[in-house]
Parts: sequence; C-alpha cells; structure tokens
Amino acid sequence: MSALFEEIAEDTSPRGVIVGHRARWALMALFALISAVALMGFFGQRLSESAAVGPAATLRLSAPNVVRGGLFFQSRVEIRASRSIEHPRVVLARGWLEQMQFNTLEPQPMSEAGRDGRVVLSYASLDAGNRLVIWTQFQVNPVNVGHRSYDVELDDGDRPIARIDRTITVLP
Amino acid sequence: MDLVLRTVFVFVVIVIVTRAVGRRELSSLEPIDVILLVVMGDLVQQGITQSDNSLTGTTIVIVTMAVLVVATAWLGFRFKRLRPILEGEPIVVVVDGKVLERNLHRQRMTIEELGAEARLQQIGSLAEVHYAVLESNGKVSFLTRS
Repeated sequence: MSALFEEIAEDTSPRGVIVGHRARWALMALFALISAVALMGFFGQRLSESAAVGPAATLRLSAPNVVRGGLFFQSRVEIRASRSIEHPRVVLARGWLEQMQFNTLEPQPMSEAGRDGRVVLSYASLDAGNRLVIWTQFQVNPVNVGHRSYDVELDDGDRPIARIDRTITVLP
Repeated sequence: MDLVLRTVFVFVVIVIVTRAVGRRELSSLEPIDVILLVVMGDLVQQGITQSDNSLTGTTIVIVTMAVLVVATAWLGFRFKRLRPILEGEPIVVVVDGKVLERNLHRQRMTIEELGAEARLQQIGSLAEVHYAVLESNGKVSFLTRS
C-alpha cells in the first residue's frame, strides 16, 4: 500500500471523524432550534398587546416587545373612555424615543411637552364611550441595543388614570 | 417569523429553478450562467432580508438556509424516490460508441460538447467509449472499451 494511504487506512473509524460528525449534528439541531424559535416570532417584530383598565378609561398598547436594529415597527395606543376625560394626556417613557427614528404620529396631539424626561402628548377632551387611537411608526437605530422602558400612561391633566408598564428589547 | 418563511419560500424557488435550468447550464458556467447565478444571488438577498440589515436577521437566514440544505440532502439520501426530484438522475448518453442523441437533446447538449468532454478525459474518439453518463452534477463520466 502507498505510504500516503497507509496511515489513514489503519484507522477505519477515526475518533476525530466520529466527534466531528456528532458535532455537526448537534450544530444542525441548534440551527433548526434557532429557526423554530424565529418562526415563533421570538427574535422580534411580533406584536404584543397590553391593557390597563382605570376608573375613567381603558388603555391598550399594541407594540412589539422585541425589535431588531434598523427595522420599522408600529406601536398603537388605544384609549376607550368610560367617563369623560377633560384633558387626556398620553405620557410616553423615555425608551419610546431614545435612539428611535420617529417617523409618524397620527393623530397629531394639540400640544407636546416634557415631564421628567418623558414625553407628554395632549389631546382634545374625550366623552364617555369615545375612543382615541394613536398610531406611531418608528425605525430602530441599529446601535440602540438592549432593554428600554416602553411604559405608557394615560393622565387626565396631571392625574394618572391608567398605566401600562412595558419594556422593549432591541436585538443587534 | 417572516424571515424564516421567506427563506423557505426562496429556497424552494431556488430548487425548482436550478432543476428547471438544467445540470449542463449550471455545471458548464458559461458567462451567461455566471451572470444568472450572480443576479439570482442578489435577488435572493433582496427577497429574503428586504430592509433587514440586523445581525439577528442575518443569523436567522443563514441558519435556516443551512438547515434547508442539510434537510434536502438528507431527504435525498433517505428516500430514494425523492432523489430524482431533488438531485436528478444520471443519464446514459453513449452506449458502445453509439451516441444516444435523444438523451443528449433532452439535456440541451450537443455532440460537439460531448466530444469536448471526451477530449478533456484523453479520449480520442467516441467510438472508444463503452458508456458515457451525464451525472446529476453536470459532469460526464466515460468508461472506455479498453
């Protein structure tokens, strides 16, 4: 037998090959798991609904819990008044705007203000049974990686009515 | 979720297109075939990732594509009936020096191209060939009478 083949032919089932084969299958299983998890929407952009019921209104937030850097996403805030609200104000936590490209806010508020680093959007009064839906569209700054507060609060003037505590996670 | 679904869809399209284009075109890699492959690659990227430039998105697409490639190879290995669909079958093009022109035409291969393949394997005449087989990877195998 040729010397070039002799050494290889002696070991017909080398340990390295077996280990390599098992490692490949383990990696493929891991890849399949990543795909399955992605298919279930755990790697971002899947909408998640939260709600808070207060004495004067129900506040709902529809937004992804996880987003990926550079991508567009939408958050929707819905207010259903059960009693009249004289000065409805939507208070957004810092994470709503920190390192986020703010593309759209509809309907536009009557005024905007800041309160302890949060953004306050003031709308016209709501009668009992009225519904206000606010659409916001963003693009994530690619360097904005990590967790941020995504709380939203509904106030009547300065008096809180309902509050949703949420965080948003930005994946690289 | 949409990234995985788009990857699966595009992979199926690629399999169908490559099977439809034929083995000769993809193995010979004439300039037009190279252009086709490059353009396909670019369009595939646009179709799958669209505006997603994130590392997470890229990782999802790559691992999903890897799983699909291995799964397709495994299906072909495990189920004999799927092999012709996924990989194609070898086709005999010469028997005892006689060229099976019908089989050649089905693969859009000319006798001149077959002759060139023979010359590359130091075969002077197709009359010397006992069997010539167009393999599923587009290469031609020759078995000479000697």
